[in-house]
Amino acid sequence: MLRGVLDLCLLAVMGEGPAYGYEMTKRLRARGLSIVGEGSIYPLLGRLERDGLVETRRSASNGGPPRKYYSLSPKGEKSLEAGVMEWQAARDAVDGALDLVKVEVTP
Amino acid sequence: MNEFVEECRREWRRLGVPDPIANEMAADLTADIEEAEAEGGSAEDVLGSSAFDPRRFAASWAVARGVTGPLAPDRMRRQWPVLAISVTVFATLTAMAAVALAVGRHSAAVAAPVRRILAGPRLPQLFGPGPVAPPFRYFVPGPPFALRDIGGFGILALILLLVAVVGLGIAILYWSPWCRRRLQPTDRMTGRSRYPEGSRR
Repeated sequence: MLRGVLDLCLLAVMGEGPAYGYEMTKRLRARGLSIVGEGSIYPLLGRLERDGLVETRRSASNGGPPRKYYSLSPKGEKSLEAGVMEWQAARDAVDGALDLVKVEVTP
Repeated sequence: MNEFVEECRREWRRLGVPDPIANEMAADLTADIEEAEAEGGSAEDVLGSSAFDPRRFAASWAVARGVTGPLAPDRMRRQWPVLAISVTVFATLTAMAAVALAVGRHSAAVAAPVRRILAGPRLPQLFGPGPVAPPFRYFVPGPPFALRDIGGFGILALILLLVAVVGLGIAILYWSPWCRRRLQPTDRMTGRSRYPEGSRR
């Protein structure tokens, strides 16, 4: 499930607009996700590309060398929508189970 | 190009990744690492813990993109059934050969005392033609299948039997539902099998 969630997060940040590898890492960090701590996002991007969920194009970055930009393909957009719905259903189910637990928060 | 990327290139070459693709991956990686370093970071900011294991990182990236040479895992996975069938057939034939040898040996071991029973005792001939064998039958003392009777064929049958048992064990393990589940490709987005329960590829 975790692996699927990481893919989903990558697709979500790609939804903001095309990005290259490190740019996506920075977008994820800005949202509080540091998934590269456990490993790189490149294999994940490679698999998404192989599965046709993302499209790529190579273009020049700001003053730097040409970079490979990733963006959502139509198939990727559908997969993102389905993944978000699946995640929300799973989250609601877990919330329903955990709501029974009363946790006392002490300052 | 830094040492990490050089190590990745060596691994991609070993895995049979085509040069244009390896060049593209190396260029992307170099650009990202240089950007991170220009911002005061390091390769670890780009690669996480993979920064300490370039070969593993390079292999996982190439496999994920499906650009490795003939030893790609999916191709190996497709070869598993052929290998399993070969092992099953080989083990069955070996078991049959072992049984045939054992039965043949058993027959020979039974035949030997029977021949001795029918022929009677042979006494040493010291002088002249010697005494004539008495016309009665008797049994040679000792079991007919003594350990010393196991000759080359017996050992061969034993070895074949062991090989057959190991081969059949592997075959049974492969065809078992537990192993089939493990070898079945899974959808990494969902973690579930790509094939419905009970379906065949």
